[in-house]
Amino acid sequence: MRKTIRIDPITRISGFLETKVEVEKNTIVNAETSGLLFRGFEKMLKSRQPLDAIYFTERICGICSAAHALASTAALENALKVEVSINDLYVRDLMHGFELMQNHLRHFYNLTIPSYVKMPDIKPLYSEQYSDYRLPEEINKKISEHYITSIQHSRLAHEGLAVLGGKAPHAHGIFVGGVTVNMDAYKLSKVRAIIYILKQFINDYMIEDVYTISKYYSDYFEKGKAYGNFMSYGLFDKYPDPEITYVKPSVLINGKKSSLDGNKITENILHTWYVNNKETEKPTEDTEDSINLSKEGAYSFIKSPHYDGYSMEVGPLARLILAGEYTRGISCMDRNIARVLETKKIIGIMENLSNRIQLVSTNQKIYDIPDQAFGVGLVDTTRGALGHWVKIENKLIKYYNIITPTVWNMSPKDGAGKSGVGEKSLIGTKINNIKEPVEVGRIIRSFDPCISCATHLVSDEHEPIDIQVLI
Amino acid sequence: MTKEITSKSLLQEAIGLIKNRQVKKLNAIWLEVTGCSGNIISFLNSENPGLDYILTELVNLTYNNTLMTSEGEFAFKEFLDTLNTEFILLVDGAVSTKENGFYNIIANYEGRPITALEAIKMAGEKAKYVVAVGTCASYGGVSAAKPNPSGSKSVDKVINREVIKLPGCPCHPDWVVGTLAHLVSFGKPELDNEGRPLLFYGVTIHDTCTRRGYFDKGIFAKKFGEEGCMFKLGCRGPVTKTDCPRRQWNGYVNWPIGANTNCIGCAQPRFPDGMEPFVRY
Repeated sequence: MRKTIRIDPITRISGFLETKVEVEKNTIVNAETSGLLFRGFEKMLKSRQPLDAIYFTERICGICSAAHALASTAALENALKVEVSINDLYVRDLMHGFELMQNHLRHFYNLTIPSYVKMPDIKPLYSEQYSDYRLPEEINKKISEHYITSIQHSRLAHEGLAVLGGKAPHAHGIFVGGVTVNMDAYKLSKVRAIIYILKQFINDYMIEDVYTISKYYSDYFEKGKAYGNFMSYGLFDKYPDPEITYVKPSVLINGKKSSLDGNKITENILHTWYVNNKETEKPTEDTEDSINLSKEGAYSFIKSPHYDGYSMEVGPLARLILAGEYTRGISCMDRNIARVLETKKIIGIMENLSNRIQLVSTNQKIYDIPDQAFGVGLVDTTRGALGHWVKIENKLIKYYNIITPTVWNMSPKDGAGKSGVGEKSLIGTKINNIKEPVEVGRIIRSFDPCISCATHLVSDEHEPIDIQVLI
Repeated sequence: MTKEITSKSLLQEAIGLIKNRQVKKLNAIWLEVTGCSGNIISFLNSENPGLDYILTELVNLTYNNTLMTSEGEFAFKEFLDTLNTEFILLVDGAVSTKENGFYNIIANYEGRPITALEAIKMAGEKAKYVVAVGTCASYGGVSAAKPNPSGSKSVDKVINREVIKLPGCPCHPDWVVGTLAHLVSFGKPELDNEGRPLLFYGVTIHDTCTRRGYFDKGIFAKKFGEEGCMFKLGCRGPVTKTDCPRRQWNGYVNWPIGANTNCIGCAQPRFPDGMEPFVRY
């Protein structure tokens, strides 16, 4: 007998995601992930001042706003033909690094751990929903204490970002031309001290904690495998120096690695509530969609992106595999481990970056906006590949397209009916206890989905719309 | 006495009263709706008191999407159960009203999708206090930016009762924690005519700006990174009321003007449309 399980909300993620799975003989045979928040950023950005896109697009996401600043700035620098000095690139990468630290620490301790470690009797951490907690009491106690300790460290990571960028979330310091901070010895020593403290915590606690969890939940090395096709737009990839280099823009498809070609990115809207005369869109073009909540076969506000026709997985596991630094597997637990190993990798790069930064003033200039221009900003960030595409006309934004990492990982079925990456990772997974389908949330969270980011698109020309299909 | 000390001493007082059982620890629901969830992230950045202290000593946070361990119907039941108690409703994000709110579904309960609009109406009616955390909840903010594709509105536009507004994009953690502390031990703080606590929103940024001396002497910056007042670059400090210059952010280390950039008026009622361009040369 086939049983349908619907989990909504999937808590401990950013934004609103519903996951529906069909289970037969204790195995998931079908899965649908639905993004249930629509904001319409691309519509809002039309006709705004191009330079305003940096701070405006930060507001897409409260947990990864500096990443949007970085992608937007990169797209504008591409459009305005602005070069950035090597020192400013270092400082900018350091700011991005602090944001990655904040994200990974929060994701691992605050969002992932409560699925595997019984939390102390504090609301809203304590829960009696599931009984599958396997750690011996002493170890459980130790890691739940690390949850509490980690709060100071993720906070401190944001402090590092604020030293260089003013405040966080929604920092101001990443801007066209590089950064806005005038570096001095005090600021540099402050961020180095923060890096030192974070590095200790990562090495002394975080690494051990993820391996402990993986030991007691080793069946999760078999659960949650997706297609095994991976993509990165490149992270810490602008330097010849290997000590501050991580991963180049690249893809791995059917086991074959090649460099990235940004022109191969498309988005399909067949199973989304968006309507357009074209079913497949290119981010380089103006794609003005409308919304129809009663569209047949539609179940998400997230589009279905492809690279060269393939659904691609993005994020820490993708990056480590593409960098040749991880080979163990592609499961739920591999994703959790990769995120933690990457945290260690990046704090090391941040330390090396901080040693190279010179005490020089900002290179800010007065920027003229061209009448006509087009720019692309492809960056890899916490959750994976993030792209901003901007078209400028009459010195204003003509159109602006954004494809976030979670769009890649949490997309619905594509035009050919093939499952999205997250859906694919659920299908085939065995549910140990059908009354407590704890597997679904654990697997989905291993992608660190951010729905605030993923469902930000488009306009709504045609209304009113019949919503009965949803009720 | 600086405002920071005031905020901290308030909290100490609140915790003292709770410990002495003079005041009952209140339940709280923190609802993330149409926004970026940046206010809950900012809240996690609270320092002395940190998150653990707030959760164990100040409020029983019964429902929050980012933090809670439970998921699905089990989680939403916590929300429903809290409605029958004395609680504070904190809203993070604007309220999407298009299609009867169907652009933002926050849960599915017994086969029925629950929109953010419905949840806020449900909880807003019963809450002892309603607090709008951040600019989206307070005024619509970026979620309601032109042409407002999701029909986003501020919380006070969808429920018919007083809403305490804590604008800021994001809201500074001290502004939330200080307000919570006040509510728990002293009741409603003194508000201005827009519903903002005077304690944090009493004066404009320009009034206490670290670069005010440059303005008074007529020294103006022509681009980011220069010494001087950034008024001529489009700084919105003169029309934005917060205590950012004195309080500072993230462990009190810096703030946007300290990073050589404009205040963009993120706590202002007309943010973002009325505050753009964010920079002009």
